[in-house]
Amino acid sequence: MILSSLRKMIAAAALGCLVAVSPALADSPEKATAFIQELGGKAISTITDQSIGREQRMETFRTLLNKNFDVPGIGRFVLGRYWRTATPEQQQQYLKLFEDSIVRTYAARFEEYSGEQLAVDNARPDGERFMLVDSKIQRPAGSPVAVTWRLFPENGSFKIVDVIVEGVSMSVTQRSDYSSVIQSGGGNVDALLKAMRERLDRV
Amino acid sequence: MTQSTSQFSRIGAGFLGMAAGLLLLSGCASMHSTGEEPSARAEANDPLEIPNRFVFALNETVDTFVLRPAAVTYDFWMPTPGKTAVRSFLDYLRSPVILANDLFQGEWDRAETTLTRFAINTATLGVYDLAAYYGYPKHSEDFGQTLALHGVGEGPYLVLPLLGPSNPRDAVGVGVDMVLDPLNWYAWNTDRDWITYTRAGVGAVDARARSLQALDDVKANSLDYYATIRSLYRQRRAAEIRNAGTSDDSGSDAYRDFLPGGKDAKAP
Repeated sequence: MILSSLRKMIAAAALGCLVAVSPALADSPEKATAFIQELGGKAISTITDQSIGREQRMETFRTLLNKNFDVPGIGRFVLGRYWRTATPEQQQQYLKLFEDSIVRTYAARFEEYSGEQLAVDNARPDGERFMLVDSKIQRPAGSPVAVTWRLFPENGSFKIVDVIVEGVSMSVTQRSDYSSVIQSGGGNVDALLKAMRERLDRV
Repeated sequence: MTQSTSQFSRIGAGFLGMAAGLLLLSGCASMHSTGEEPSARAEANDPLEIPNRFVFALNETVDTFVLRPAAVTYDFWMPTPGKTAVRSFLDYLRSPVILANDLFQGEWDRAETTLTRFAINTATLGVYDLAAYYGYPKHSEDFGQTLALHGVGEGPYLVLPLLGPSNPRDAVGVGVDMVLDPLNWYAWNTDRDWITYTRAGVGAVDARARSLQALDDVKANSLDYYATIRSLYRQRRAAEIRNAGTSDDSGSDAYRDFLPGGKDAKAP
């Protein structure tokens, strides 16, 4: 009697594993929230260090970025349908410029750090492949800012693909910006590459 | 003074007429779409891009020479408690419109919150948000959101003179909210139009002052400021309509064909 119910339980557990393994998400909400919490702490302790110079801050940020974000994946997403029409050379140049422009933009933001803290709330599945982790950035002055992270599990850790601030997706916004530049350039990716290069030289 | 007042009234009336026309326009525009480049067109939702960019440039000029300087001055000279008081008072004046829209949307709990907030904050003449302290946090509603909730689509993206990013649905919403506001009726009926204009002016400076850093940041970091603002406006509105404190499923559909690592990169 006990044995048979035990057997049933094992069978159910095994089945549960099979079901849970296919999206590989069901068992990892705690891991996902821990991942974001840890990343927030690490970012604050390393990048906001006021004693380091600009170059060093950018390099620290770049390392953290490439370790925790799927930068080429985001780049491809942001280029949208122009990714397929781009030549191999354009794709390579674009991904390089894309990474550089993220580093430039966000490293500067960390320079203005003034005691903000990241408080992670909870994680929930987003479709079959992604998870969303909700968090709040508590500011010393002013109301907290809601930030949601879209990520997917990879090699026992996670990669972030989007940051959603108060309902605004950074990747979707970036995509509108880039595709508008390409469209006014007659649909040629070179127009975007040129504009990205000019901006990097300017800042 | 009287001359400028009547001019402003004409602008107000013209604006309402325009808003009604726009709602009709949105119905037409959503019916036909060109087959060319559907995904990019759908994403931008901006068939009137050329006139929109023109109005956007005009607004930018006004912003550069009038609104932004006023906001910078206000932000610098007004002490933080003063700014908070101004903000609270503007919110307080908006209570009837928020209440009406809570009711139109069948949000009874929110309507009750709005009423309670109004009662509590009356004790401070509206200049301090005592209600938030007592556990009744503020929320905002407008008729654009009410229309959206009842299934009215946004229509094409529009940039309105002085008012900025909008669409036919939200433009009609702004007009209806004006008419719903008892303070406006009081001002109109007693020839105290200065109330309406002062409030609009203070509201604009307050809102601009609160977004100084964010907008400077967007301007510095975007390649096409117009396109970026368009995307920000549309996403922000969608989030407000979802009424979610957290950003719900923003971009979930777009991520369906996300390919990790950009693995289909062509070999050079």
